[in-house]
Amino acid sequence: MANFMQNSVVSYACTCGLVNPITKLFFCRHCLKLRCGFCVCHEVDSHFCSNCLENIPSSEAKHKKNCCTNCFNCPCCQHTLSARATMVVVPKKTDDSPKEGEGDGVKAVTKKMYYLSCLGCRWTSRDVGIPDQNVATGAWPENECSYQTRFNALLEYYQAVVLQDKQEKQEYLRRKTPKAHKFPSLTDRTGLTVSMIRRQIGWPDKNTQKAKPVNITPSVATDELEDLPADVFTQPINLRNVSNIQQRHGQPSDQPFTVNKLYPQRRILWIKRSLRCRQCEHNVIKPEYHPTSVKYRIQLFANYHVPDVLLVRSEEVLHAGKSGSIILKLTNPTMHDMSIKIKELPTLSEELEMIEEFKLACKIKENTATSAAAESLKSITSSPSLTSTTLSRQTSLIEDPRIVQQKANVKLNNSELNFVLNQRDDSTEFDEDVQTPREEPEFIIWRKSNKVSIRLPFTTDESLKVGDLVKVGFTMEYTYVNTVTNTPTSHTLSARVFIDAGQILGE
Amino acid sequence: MPLYETVMQEKPPVVLDIGTAYTKLGFAAEAYPRKIIPSEVILSSDGKTKALLDYDSNTELYDQFVDFLQMIFFKHLLVIPKERKIVIVENVLGQTIIRETLARVLFRHFEVSSIMFVPLHMAALATLAVPTGIVIDMGYTETTVMPVYSRVQILQAFQDQAYGGRAIHAEIKRQLLEAGVNGKHLTESILEDIKVRTCFVTNFERAKAYRKGQPPAAPPDLEYLINGEEIIVIPGTLRETVFEIMFEENNDRDSLPHLVLRAILSCPVDVRRALIESIFVVGGSAIIMGLLSRLRAEMQYLAEKDEEYKQKLCGDIKFKFHKTIGRENFTAWLGGSLCGGTDLIQTHSLTKEAYVKTDRVPDWINLSDKRATA
Ligand SMILES: [Zn+2]
Ligand SMILES: [Zn+2]
Ligand SMILES: [Zn+2]
Ligand SMILES: [Zn+2]
Repeated sequence: MANFMQNSVVSYACTCGLVNPITKLFFCRHCLKLRCGFCVCHEVDSHFCSNCLENIPSSEAKHKKNCCTNCFNCPCCQHTLSARATMVVVPKKTDDSPKEGEGDGVKAVTKKMYYLSCLGCRWTSRDVGIPDQNVATGAWPENECSYQTRFNALLEYYQAVVLQDKQEKQEYLRRKTPKAHKFPSLTDRTGLTVSMIRRQIGWPDKNTQKAKPVNITPSVATDELEDLPADVFTQPINLRNVSNIQQRHGQPSDQPFTVNKLYPQRRILWIKRSLRCRQCEHNVIKPEYHPTSVKYRIQLFANYHVPDVLLVRSEEVLHAGKSGSIILKLTNPTMHDMSIKIKELPTLSEELEMIEEFKLACKIKENTATSAAAESLKSITSSPSLTSTTLSRQTSLIEDPRIVQQKANVKLNNSELNFVLNQRDDSTEFDEDVQTPREEPEFIIWRKSNKVSIRLPFTTDESLKVGDLVKVGFTMEYTYVNTVTNTPTSHTLSARVFIDAGQILGE
Repeated sequence: MPLYETVMQEKPPVVLDIGTAYTKLGFAAEAYPRKIIPSEVILSSDGKTKALLDYDSNTELYDQFVDFLQMIFFKHLLVIPKERKIVIVENVLGQTIIRETLARVLFRHFEVSSIMFVPLHMAALATLAVPTGIVIDMGYTETTVMPVYSRVQILQAFQDQAYGGRAIHAEIKRQLLEAGVNGKHLTESILEDIKVRTCFVTNFERAKAYRKGQPPAAPPDLEYLINGEEIIVIPGTLRETVFEIMFEENNDRDSLPHLVLRAILSCPVDVRRALIESIFVVGGSAIIMGLLSRLRAEMQYLAEKDEEYKQKLCGDIKFKFHKTIGRENFTAWLGGSLCGGTDLIQTHSLTKEAYVKTDRVPDWINLSDKRATA
């Protein structure tokens, strides 16, 4: 986590082929695969206002057009507006003033009134002539859409037209296809049609259910167009009064040219997102509901499950075609020992093979995801949320995995490095460093509880030039104990790791 | 339509009009877009801002669309794109790679349930409730003209020219540099701001005077503060003349009035009059003071004085223009919103199932596709 905010020098290739630092990766415990923001399915979990931190149920949010009812943004500078109170003197109401000649006539009362003001640019709601309100969260008038009625008429018209077209087409098809009755019906023999019978009985004609054509007045074109006002050639303009493009777009319905027509903007809500694995439909991230909480209900971040690799330092000065080595520190975040194997990255053909395998696995999964297979799958995964509805999902297209763009430009000196990474044990953090020395391979230079430092020797490519970045890449195989199932099972997983080892130096 | 209405209320289709400069986004059956945002992406790879439709490879375009739509769905519209219906307003003769990539991103990455492609010019005309008209879309990179007769686009009469917002910005820059302004300040956004807030299209008389080399008294110069640092002077002539590049007389006869007239003359004789009396100018670059009356005056002049047009457009010609409802920059979006608000969304969309089968998007131009949908 040392590299949470900065650019990381160590990155992992996700299953989908994109390269990310471990802090941006997730680990699906059901598929046992790395996932990243690109290859998981994003979902809106809850809506909230980032200013007043109020939680808004999604149905209400939809109704309110995803805006907070209480908070406003400045139409000039998009800063949050604050409600300001002023005391105004208002004459006392007439019905209780004429009471037995006490005092002299009408009394005045002071009353608190509110207006909205921007602390960023000094804009106030009084600038657009919005009257002050007597409650701070008052019913601030909305900027009405001037052509809403016309739009509604158009919409109604087109809905009717489309519906009518559809009915006519159906009618046509119905008439064209001969009736497929097995037995001639009474009406056929007598030559009476259903509608005639209906009319004779006095029932309303069936066809009256047809959509009535809605009339609309079409737009009328004119050749009398507004000419430029004469003063545009003589009068200087004051740029302060002319709105800029951002301000105009902030009020899309009318996009006023002058700033005196800008209205306070309702603040748009924010969302909490949950992330779902596309392959198995399990959540990898699910946040807590409350807006003020920054915790998660489900948090399958990769650095809880995958060994964390850290670059400690580069040992030697790097030259092209020469050997060098880096010191890495690996940490086991899980409660189980891991055996680690570090080896060369897959070749291009191996990588293509992996992608094909992955695609095949997706296809098989899709084909078997029928109701018959649902049972067997359920027993394999034994997870309650894997209901038949998620299994019988419709045709899906899953993003194809890609070839990793990042390429290593070194060769590892050892074909394989094998060692064990001890389990995480928070209590040993406080122990004194009195581990019994054991037979360690020579590349291990330090070990404490769940951490190990190793030296990784390599030879850089001949073709590198002075100033080029040396990329060390390796496949890290690790054993992972899956605790999702009832009986923990051990798996050998692998991750492709890329490390910036520094630049090639001149002689 | 009770069933339909519930569908609408629950999950209204998302309507997108992705332009070169700005993207209009919102929900179907709403009277205006929720947002108008620059068509730019902040790349998730390195955090840099980049124009959406500026790309070197297909993968790059694909990834940019992913980042852009991710922002639209989760920051602006706050909806789950999965199983959602999408309406895309698009230029009929736009690049195939863009629509193919967009469809691939929407179906594969966002798993939307269907996409309805709505041709831009038809969509714009739909907001008028008239069946016939000549639609002029003035965008950022180009101006396109499409005659529509009785709700059918006359494709062979389609015209386009590379003038729009970008050309105007270049012209402002040229004139400012000529006036001795330091070029390093003149970023695209400053140029746009100058255009939007200070410039206008002058009237025909004054333009003629400029052309003759007898410029009239120029409008007042303007002091303009750049980034709160430096004050530059915007000459009055600049404010008045930058839009002249659309009206300049030249041998190619490809200025805006000529473009529209040429489109009209490429149509059959019997539909021309209907088009002449139903002209509709839309697009972001159409929001500028004085544009319509100038265009009308120029066209009227050409129809009466130019030999070629006088011959072909016989009789009493009166060019008539429609007014948009709402601003011109989202008229096409509005048409998309109207289409998406009807049952067409159920019948005329490209569904995920159909897309899976062919793995391609049917083309407007492709005749075999047309037959299939007809
Ligand atoms: Zn999974
Ligand atoms: Zn991924
Ligand atoms: Zn709020
Ligand atoms: Zn402000």
